[in-house]
Amino acid sequence: MPDTASEARNRLIRRVVLDTGIAAAVVIGMGVARGVYSNELMLFNFIVFLALAQGLNIIYGFTGYLPFGYVGFYGAGAYGFSLVVMHLHVPAMIGMVAAAVAALVLAVILLPLLRLSGAYFAIASMAAAQAVYEIVANPDLEDITKGPYGVSLSDVFAPALSYYTALAILAGALLLVVWLRNSRFGMSLQAIRDDSVSAAMSGISVVHGRTVAWLLSALVAGLVGGVFAWHISVFYPDTAFDLSVSIFSTVFLLFGGATTLCGPLLGVFILYGVYNVIGIAVPQYFQFTYGALIVLLVLFLPNGLVSLLTSRGIRVP
Amino acid sequence: MLTSAIVAGVVFGLYYTLVGLGLNLVFGVMRIVNLAHGDFLMLGGMAAWWLFSSFGLHPLVSVALVIVVFLLVGLPIYYLVVPRLLRSRDSEMLSLILFFGLSQMIEAVTTIALGATERSLPPRLLGVGPMILLGTRLPKAWIFSAAASAICVLFVYLYLYRTRLGTLTRAVMVSRDEALATGIDVNFISAVAFGISIALAGVAGVFAPFILGSITPNMGVAINITAFAVIVVGTLGNPLGTLLGGIIYGVSLMLMQTYLSSWANLLPNLLLIAVLLVRPEGILGRKVRRA
Amino acid sequence: MRSKALAVGLLCAAAAGSANAQSAAPAEIKIGALYASSGPYASISMPVFDAFKLWVDQVNANGGAEVKPFGKKIPIKLIAYDDQSSTATAATLYNQLITQDHVDLLIADSGSVLTSVGVPIAKEHKQFLFDVSGTGAAFFTDDNPYIALMADPVSTIWPHYISDFLGDEGVKAGIRTVAILYSTNDFTGTQAAALKGFFERDGKVKIVYYQGVPTTTSNYTVLINNIAALNPDAVLELGYVGNDIAFLRNLQDSGSQFRFVFTIYAGTEKEEIEKNVGISAMTNIFSYVPASNYEYTPNFGMTLTEFREAWLKKYPTGSNVAFGANAVYGYMAGLVVERTLATTKSLDQMDIHDAVFALSGQLKTLDSTFELRKDGAQIGEVTPLGQLQPAGKEELNLVAVYPPDLAKGKAVLGQ
Repeated sequence: MPDTASEARNRLIRRVVLDTGIAAAVVIGMGVARGVYSNELMLFNFIVFLALAQGLNIIYGFTGYLPFGYVGFYGAGAYGFSLVVMHLHVPAMIGMVAAAVAALVLAVILLPLLRLSGAYFAIASMAAAQAVYEIVANPDLEDITKGPYGVSLSDVFAPALSYYTALAILAGALLLVVWLRNSRFGMSLQAIRDDSVSAAMSGISVVHGRTVAWLLSALVAGLVGGVFAWHISVFYPDTAFDLSVSIFSTVFLLFGGATTLCGPLLGVFILYGVYNVIGIAVPQYFQFTYGALIVLLVLFLPNGLVSLLTSRGIRVP
Repeated sequence: MLTSAIVAGVVFGLYYTLVGLGLNLVFGVMRIVNLAHGDFLMLGGMAAWWLFSSFGLHPLVSVALVIVVFLLVGLPIYYLVVPRLLRSRDSEMLSLILFFGLSQMIEAVTTIALGATERSLPPRLLGVGPMILLGTRLPKAWIFSAAASAICVLFVYLYLYRTRLGTLTRAVMVSRDEALATGIDVNFISAVAFGISIALAGVAGVFAPFILGSITPNMGVAINITAFAVIVVGTLGNPLGTLLGGIIYGVSLMLMQTYLSSWANLLPNLLLIAVLLVRPEGILGRKVRRA
Repeated sequence: MRSKALAVGLLCAAAAGSANAQSAAPAEIKIGALYASSGPYASISMPVFDAFKLWVDQVNANGGAEVKPFGKKIPIKLIAYDDQSSTATAATLYNQLITQDHVDLLIADSGSVLTSVGVPIAKEHKQFLFDVSGTGAAFFTDDNPYIALMADPVSTIWPHYISDFLGDEGVKAGIRTVAILYSTNDFTGTQAAALKGFFERDGKVKIVYYQGVPTTTSNYTVLINNIAALNPDAVLELGYVGNDIAFLRNLQDSGSQFRFVFTIYAGTEKEEIEKNVGISAMTNIFSYVPASNYEYTPNFGMTLTEFREAWLKKYPTGSNVAFGANAVYGYMAGLVVERTLATTKSLDQMDIHDAVFALSGQLKTLDSTFELRKDGAQIGEVTPLGQLQPAGKEELNLVAVYPPDLAKGKAVLGQ
């Protein structure tokens, strides 16, 4: 244990530098990769999942709530962007702001869900995401959202700019997690997660903490959804609200290890990487292996890959 | 149109009672969310299809076979998976993930083995032509499945309230730790409950081709959400509650289809959220959970 | 030393130059395709893919496809990926085929939904997209030359024989009202909208019910009751295979009778629907007569009978894939590719475009006449209206009943 305040401060600074360094390495790596590897869409998908896993990390890793319907914010962001661009003909960056706003509005509407716990919360959030999908995809709303017939945003199509914007969002998400890992606020969130009653007794505002985490998490997903809509420019509502986006993000997060910075990164690079290499050719066999991997993970390594180190007391950034 | 929607809704809803019954039992006893429930249902349906197309076995006969086989299969699955799961810190969440993994495995194997095309059973097996109930034309298959569902609800009720095993199960449902402390073999009770739950899913699956038209390997996911809506509305842990939940769902769905047809799919989700926020213990509930 | 190096260098340059003048022929022509082996679109995608594979095998068995710019036959290599009916996966895979595998020709997956994500990607990378069966009208715009629809007509004109028939022979037999129930997706939604437009334009038959339901709808009992309460003469149900199965079963269960009932897949995927619904529920239902049930006279490629034989040889009955319209579409796409390679000036994508469009009006295959509009939409190959009429004890024949020049029998309208 550090003896003096200055030792503690130095330790903190070292940690922050290390964490930020890792974040920077990932962002720069993904930026350089675009020049090297030409299947840009696949790289883009990597960035999407890297960011989403971190967004989910903010809410699950730090408050213990796992929203199975996380994709709802992603879809809200995608549609927020699309509606503003389609109807108001604004430039893409304004669309991104709209995406963030849409996700935050949805998060505020769904705040009451935080009263629920555990599985109830997970399923209710899944139902909420489905509900938003059903509303957006409804043919009666075709004039506004194009209903089930899909969105086409060819005016703002800009693969390079949207890729780098996504990279910026990833950087933001990573820095958010670094901040949470090394700040008092982040520690208070973990206290709430572990035992909310005791945390409240020691003066931490439980409701405030959870709300902030929830909003931040939704914001990340909303921005990612918006940049997804921008990059791909043609999509159907069931792509934007596809439950497998939540599921994949959750699995990547848990596989790597929640609450850490590296856990989700590892999870995405390993699992999504394998998926892209093998899964394309033999998807059914891959689906089976994926499912088996998840089962084994939960049974034997429920705290993720990083628990191999953290259970021995080694701090993983 | 209104009466026929309501009558159709009640009968149709009874099918969803059957779908939710097993899920209710598992969640009540083990606090485990079986996300593979819909896939076991699908397996029941595929089994009925295969038994019919290979051996000409009538689905009502297949039901008996499915019950026995699924019950026996449920026990080892339980023992392999659940005790370890319950020892971890966040078992509810992890159970979600684990059974999701299981559901992926089941879907993958089924697609590899049988291909992805729609499968169905000939309608004539359960009678062609409508049955008229209170002025409403209903397919005969619905009557059969409603009857099967009512029988299953009765069976579960009798099991829980009239048999020794059932009483012990209710003890476990109230508090697992206390039950363990009083010497109850919690694992065995839970395993039996799990087996029954999958058997019920299988029965629902056998009727699925008639109620839903056709079955595909990946139909499980959509069924799960509806099943959750049904059991949550109807109170967790109480089979009679699932009965009510199914009927409420069925009637609402038919009313939506009549008056607001393109919004019909929104219903189970809104119902679920509304109930969870307004009355989380469900229609019949004494408070079973603290939020 | 220096002059020797110079000489060698010049020699190499000359050799390279003359090789370019000859255009070194590639060892194989790479064709990229996507298919869905699972999910809601598998039943329309697998037959297309399997039929295309059949064409590839046939062509390669003959030494390869004749490729005009190199004046020789070159074998075809098929690079195919499974998108599992997911549009997101499909998008990544289209990208992969273009940017990583550098395919010479790109074939879309089956159906509007899985084709849609490929359209902007192909346009952006300037790769011509052979759209097999994606009939969504939005794909074909004047500013995008990198697409053409191969095997079935664009959704906005496809259903016109239905409204023509009802307005013509239907009205003569006393039909006045029609109910339209459709699934809300690009394919069937566009057809419904087109039909609504046709009926309103012609003004002879009145629409009394026009409702959209989600594509995942699997029970139609209440909907059928609602329609029956309005007593229409004709009922049109426009949905995918799963919708048709549920609708036809529920219709039979309900005992409701209408004079004219139409579904898209009762004819287009007759075998599949028969397996799931049964003969009695399909009797006297109207549908499209797809090329898999109508013997056209081709000027290129196999006839329907020959194709069916070849199909059964390669995929004997009992295998998981159904022979139907989609199988014909897949083979048809292959035929267009074959003619394109045989007539194109080069493998440059705009030359491919020109070659494909030059076939319009000239190419007659087992899928009828290939005719393209300027924006790439298919305006030929319109399927006649047909009815499933009993032929013997346990069999139904899909008989073309309209238009008169393609009809092989008379329609039987109910009471």
